[in-house]
Amino acid sequence: MCHAIRIIYSMTKIIEINDKRYPKLLKRIPDAPKRLYYKGEWGKEIFTHCLAVVGSRRMTRYGKDCTQAIVTAAAQAGLTIVSGFMYGIDATAHQAAVDAGGKTIAAMPCGIDVIHPDYQDKLYQAILDTGGLIVSEYPADTPPFRAHFPRRNCIVAGLSQATLVVEAALKSGSLITARLTREYKRELFAVPGPVNNVTSQGTLKLIREGAQMALSHQEILGFYGIEGQAIRRKQQEAISPLEKKIIVALTFGPMEIDELILRVKVTIDQLSSTLSLMELNGFIREEGGKYSLNMEGLGHVG
Amino acid sequence: MLVKVLSAAHCGLDTIGIVVEINMAARGLPVFDIVGLPSKAVAESKERVRTAILNSDIEFPQRRIIVNLAPADLPKEGSCYDLPIAVGVVSMVMNFEVPKDSLFFGELSLEGTVRHTKGTLLAALYAREEGIKNIFVPQDSANEAAVVDGISVFGVKNLNQLLAHILGQVLIAPAQYKDNKPALNHDAEFDMSEIAGQTQAKRAIEIAAAGGHNCLMVGSPGAGKTMLARALAGILPMLTERESLEVTKIYSVAGRIAAGGSLVKLRPFRSPHHTISQAGITGGGSIPQPGEISLAHRGVLFLDEFNEFPRSVVEALRQPMEDGTLTISRSREQVSYPSRFMLVASANPCPCGYLRHPSRACVCSAREVEKYRKRISGPILDRIDLHVDVPVVDVEELARNAEMKKLQESSFAIRERVIRARRLQDTRFADDTICANAEMKNRHIGKYCRLSPQAKQILLRSSSRFALSARSYFKVIKVARTIADLVSEKEISCEHIAEALRYRPKLKEEL
Repeated sequence: MCHAIRIIYSMTKIIEINDKRYPKLLKRIPDAPKRLYYKGEWGKEIFTHCLAVVGSRRMTRYGKDCTQAIVTAAAQAGLTIVSGFMYGIDATAHQAAVDAGGKTIAAMPCGIDVIHPDYQDKLYQAILDTGGLIVSEYPADTPPFRAHFPRRNCIVAGLSQATLVVEAALKSGSLITARLTREYKRELFAVPGPVNNVTSQGTLKLIREGAQMALSHQEILGFYGIEGQAIRRKQQEAISPLEKKIIVALTFGPMEIDELILRVKVTIDQLSSTLSLMELNGFIREEGGKYSLNMEGLGHVG
Repeated sequence: MLVKVLSAAHCGLDTIGIVVEINMAARGLPVFDIVGLPSKAVAESKERVRTAILNSDIEFPQRRIIVNLAPADLPKEGSCYDLPIAVGVVSMVMNFEVPKDSLFFGELSLEGTVRHTKGTLLAALYAREEGIKNIFVPQDSANEAAVVDGISVFGVKNLNQLLAHILGQVLIAPAQYKDNKPALNHDAEFDMSEIAGQTQAKRAIEIAAAGGHNCLMVGSPGAGKTMLARALAGILPMLTERESLEVTKIYSVAGRIAAGGSLVKLRPFRSPHHTISQAGITGGGSIPQPGEISLAHRGVLFLDEFNEFPRSVVEALRQPMEDGTLTISRSREQVSYPSRFMLVASANPCPCGYLRHPSRACVCSAREVEKYRKRISGPILDRIDLHVDVPVVDVEELARNAEMKKLQESSFAIRERVIRARRLQDTRFADDTICANAEMKNRHIGKYCRLSPQAKQILLRSSSRFALSARSYFKVIKVARTIADLVSEKEISCEHIAEALRYRPKLKEEL
């Protein structure tokens, strides 16, 4: 592992396996960690409904959208999102949970004082600030080793009633987590993806082998027996006919300005300024010259 | 016997008068020597002069001849002293008086002809400044010197022709300035209408051209970044008269005006390769020559594959971008070259280049991408007003699309708008030292950029929503000013601000 690491020293807090507060679900797995090092406020309710969300480091746009959509709804419904703090799907899941005002647990492949990868230090802090937990079975300043990753996956799968795999290649850590989930007799969800994509091969294989298909947050909330809150609809602001047109055009999927301009038929200066205002209102977003709809924007499809 | 002939030397873009003193001693062994800190090219001048005189069927005196280039402590460089030295020597042989009030400037060939010499325009400007009435220059360089009015410019073909003129046998007619048919912008490599799609990037280029804004294009290989930059050359307005003279001076000193060339009318478009050295970009050498940034003065400096440029080269751009001039200091001299250029840079979104490519997979990790982006220097990014993504588009499909074709404007139509916007800026900054919106400092923004109340509100909202830095905040206003100029509006409205927001720096928001 060539990634740089960052170390933050702090008072180490430990929970032993015979402690009353040790999570019951985790205790049930065959090779449960003897002790857990943690950061954050340890509370019982954070472990009540845990959903593991894992996936590829090489996340696609599709994977990111799915993760954000499902995690946002799940976190708002009160589920704790558990993941492995790696970049890609993991980090997106943590971030979405934080943004949705939910709680999230990061299981680290290193000591809890080590931030790995180091550039996710803001996320690390955000998890703690929003009442989440950083946990690890290794002493506080242990650097990340390759051998730690599968053990970390045990904690992720072991803490949760269900695991959701968003994107995974055929040989990947996410599939290890999926295997563990089955071994622990927990529920396994997978998000189907395009059949010609490397990062969909793993999830498609899982589905063929019997994993539940997760098409939206509904399946997952149904499993936990939680009534999904209807997606919070903000009071709909009046939007202009051009904005409406743009939103309708974007329901066909993310598109570049050229395609958009052909669909809505206005001049580039008009379109640019309207897009900025819509971005400002949170209806749409732009990445690398491609525009796509946000949840807020979807509300206006009508 | 002593003869004095006037000539000129360059120190950067400054010109210094040189008195060429030629003494032929009555006694002493035959020798021909040049003193007064001559460089190699000047020292070799004596061989050229001797041979040229002999080949013009004139006798070369077998006497002790010493040439002094005064002031003697200034290093002399170049071949422009051949003509004054030859004139001085011949005047002694043939017993005539060197014309008063005349400046001689030019290089001789061995056969006695006068060759095109760099820096002629500056010599002519110096002559006018000093009130010298006549200037004798190579025929090939006469046109560039003839731009200067108020003096008589004589284009000399060879030594014999010059003699005939001085002796009053056959007079040379003073050169009249002729504008060469300018290689028009229309001949730019690409016309905007040839580029399929990329509407946003084209609009960004138009705004950049109209306000002189620096611009960064990010996109995968093959997206059309280079093509867009090259098409930019075709929508720039011609240089104004004042600008044209500035640019021609630089090109004259650098020896880049072709024989018989006239004023530079087109805005320069320089695109150095990323293997360029620091001296190559800023200018330098023991006798400092203008570098790429000075050659791009009043024009475009296009840096393709911006991240590949060595850090030292990129950082060297900072001070000239701010000041519009660059001073090169050497132990022997210090020269300044103007360098007010518009930077257009292009970069890939990630090391492999295919991040977010519709059909090719990117093989870079998030960390690699981040590291790659950090290689673009922050202070330079801060000085770039327009940031635009150039996504890969299905060119064939767009090219077939008839409606898209209708949207593709020609360079000519766009240039008309650009010229109008520039004119507005010319009147706006008539009493100021700057001449384009991009050059506005904060105090200018307060003075010239009136925002409508809604525009102000949008700007405030966006600065918190998009986390605009103070610098970016002002950049948005500057760009909005140009957008308003493109439609000839005095007040910056909410639409103008909103459109300007499209081109805010986004590199840091993503990931």
